[in-house]
Amino acid sequence: MATYDFIFSALGLEDWCAEGQSDAPMSMAALLQKTKGTTGEPESLWDTPFPSMDALNESCAAFPKSRELTKGLEEGFLSIKDSLSVVLDPLTQPLSWALDGALYGMLNTPWWIVIPLLLAVVFFVTKSWKLVGFVAGSLFLLAFIDYYRYAMETLSIIFVCAFLCVLFGVPIGIAMSRSDMMQRLTVPVLDMLQTLPPFVYLIPLIFLFSVTESKLYGIAIILYAIVPVIRLTNLGIRLVDKDVIEAADAFGMTSQQKLFKVQIPLALPNIMAGVNQTIMMSLAMVVIASLVSAPGLGVLVLQGIRNLELGVGLVAGLGIVILAVILDRVTKASLARINASQKQ
Amino acid sequence: MDRDIKISIRNLYKIFGPTPDVALAYVRRGMGKAELLEKQNHVLGLEDINVDIHEGEITVIMGLSGSGKSTLIRHLNRLIEPTAGKIELDGKNVLDFNEDQLRKLRREQMSMVFQKFALLPHKTVLENAGMALLVRGYSVEEFEGEAKKWLARVGLEGNEYQYPHQLSGGMQQRVGIARALASNSPIMLMDEAFSALDPLIRSDMQDLLLELQDELKKTVVFITHDLDESLKLADHLVILKDGHIVQQGEPQEILMHPNDPYITDFISDINRARVLRVRSVMTKTTTPPTDCAGDISDRDNLESVIAMSNGDTDLTYRVMKKGNQVGVLEMKELVKALVPLDASEGDARSRY
Repeated sequence: MATYDFIFSALGLEDWCAEGQSDAPMSMAALLQKTKGTTGEPESLWDTPFPSMDALNESCAAFPKSRELTKGLEEGFLSIKDSLSVVLDPLTQPLSWALDGALYGMLNTPWWIVIPLLLAVVFFVTKSWKLVGFVAGSLFLLAFIDYYRYAMETLSIIFVCAFLCVLFGVPIGIAMSRSDMMQRLTVPVLDMLQTLPPFVYLIPLIFLFSVTESKLYGIAIILYAIVPVIRLTNLGIRLVDKDVIEAADAFGMTSQQKLFKVQIPLALPNIMAGVNQTIMMSLAMVVIASLVSAPGLGVLVLQGIRNLELGVGLVAGLGIVILAVILDRVTKASLARINASQKQ
Repeated sequence: MDRDIKISIRNLYKIFGPTPDVALAYVRRGMGKAELLEKQNHVLGLEDINVDIHEGEITVIMGLSGSGKSTLIRHLNRLIEPTAGKIELDGKNVLDFNEDQLRKLRREQMSMVFQKFALLPHKTVLENAGMALLVRGYSVEEFEGEAKKWLARVGLEGNEYQYPHQLSGGMQQRVGIARALASNSPIMLMDEAFSALDPLIRSDMQDLLLELQDELKKTVVFITHDLDESLKLADHLVILKDGHIVQQGEPQEILMHPNDPYITDFISDINRARVLRVRSVMTKTTTPPTDCAGDISDRDNLESVIAMSNGDTDLTYRVMKKGNQVGVLEMKELVKALVPLDASEGDARSRY
């Protein structure tokens, strides 16, 4: 006899429960209980268990245990996995190509081309020699301690993923800003993506894709990092001065003209702030994604943890910090340039 | 007078709320603004507005905040949709326009100047001035000349390549006016265009508008809460209160014969000598006066006549319009016209 027998007897479900009885070997818990000689009936009100699935299962064998819930979910996922892969595989294949291509290109170009090219990009977006000097110093330091290869791997993954985040995130943000319905539907998804622990992304992805494919970590990074650019694009467009929008209407702009000539340019500071956040979050995720074979500095951190190589882990961590500072400074500096050109 | 009616507003109602049609029925049965808000939870924005806006004139719509004047001007280009009524532009009902027609109307027929300037902060002054042309698909090179011409006309030569935030408020509003003029539309809507400017600049801008108007003869609809401004600019003055028209007509006429204690109260504070013009107080005659002290224009205000006479009330002036005599003004009549109307019976102001 268990605590909640009375529920099933009151509902007249004893027959249904009896069907669930099986002669299968007893569980460990039941065996232990038997040897202790207790019946499972709590001695006092104090020990009454919560009417959870497991507790109810004790009273009625036909009632599912909580283990069956997670098992059911797993089986459900596995059963749709194959058909899901048929759709998702070709859709996401370009991501693999992009990542592999970027990695190949970055690593097989000699350093004396890659570093000046990166510095030229930095100068182009920031127009600041000071920053170019800082980036040059950081890159030479990383290269000097033989971390050049890892740093470039990390950078190329970030470039590809952040680019794709902007490519998809900005249109989604625009769609959200234009329809309240779209916003209501999208915000919970964004909230979920943002609060889900980064490791959890990896679990279903491992089942869906092979660990040898680069799109596995690419998708994880994009899902994690796309949120800020969507949110800030939406916010930026919604915050555009109502008077200016009214003026655009009064002069007969079409909604397309309004979007491209007024809303997006005026939302650009916010969109760029979103891009900055997106890049920083891709960097955070690319480290975690080393668990699923993403190359780069994260691998060294992982190696440091796994093999207890303190020095390797710490230096790799420092390298990540340097990359983070570089990316942050450069995007912030270009953001400041945009802000300066459109003071209200 | 044979003045062409450009825009005619007929029985226009605007009610804000979830079910304006239901509320409209109550309003038509005579429910007031306060009662409507209390019982139906709808805001009565405009109530039975009828205005004729004549071609080539400045029509000023004046009212305090909350009187519905900004709502009214936004109905003309349908930035706000009315609940009921008709707005006819050159005989065509604007409310029947489809999206394309409406866009064409906004691009080619009406331009607008805003209280807060509403310039594009990321575009240069030149691009802002050419906004209407840019919208119509012209490139910067194509509209550059036109935009520069109007910028020069409003006194902004040399500022073409600056950004709006580098200009002062008055200069920004000049860009706003140049932008409206460059669209070459016959109608200009000005929504409290000068209210955000300081008094001296405001006066400058009013003079600029009058000067431009003499030359261009646009149909201007001007919204203001400032009585002095409205008297200075208006050919036709509409006074709004709580969403309905209290009085409309020639401003001098309203000054001399206010038909509502609200208006009497309103105008009791103003400097009558400055706003009243000779033509409103003169005696109409073509017979020359016997002892003429000099010629004055029918558009002079009384203040300038008093200054000219040095306060001598025995003088008589000949009133001229375009070189012909239209009347005679005796200083004694002038002084009589300056007597303030007996406005505040009891404490009329407290009722509003």
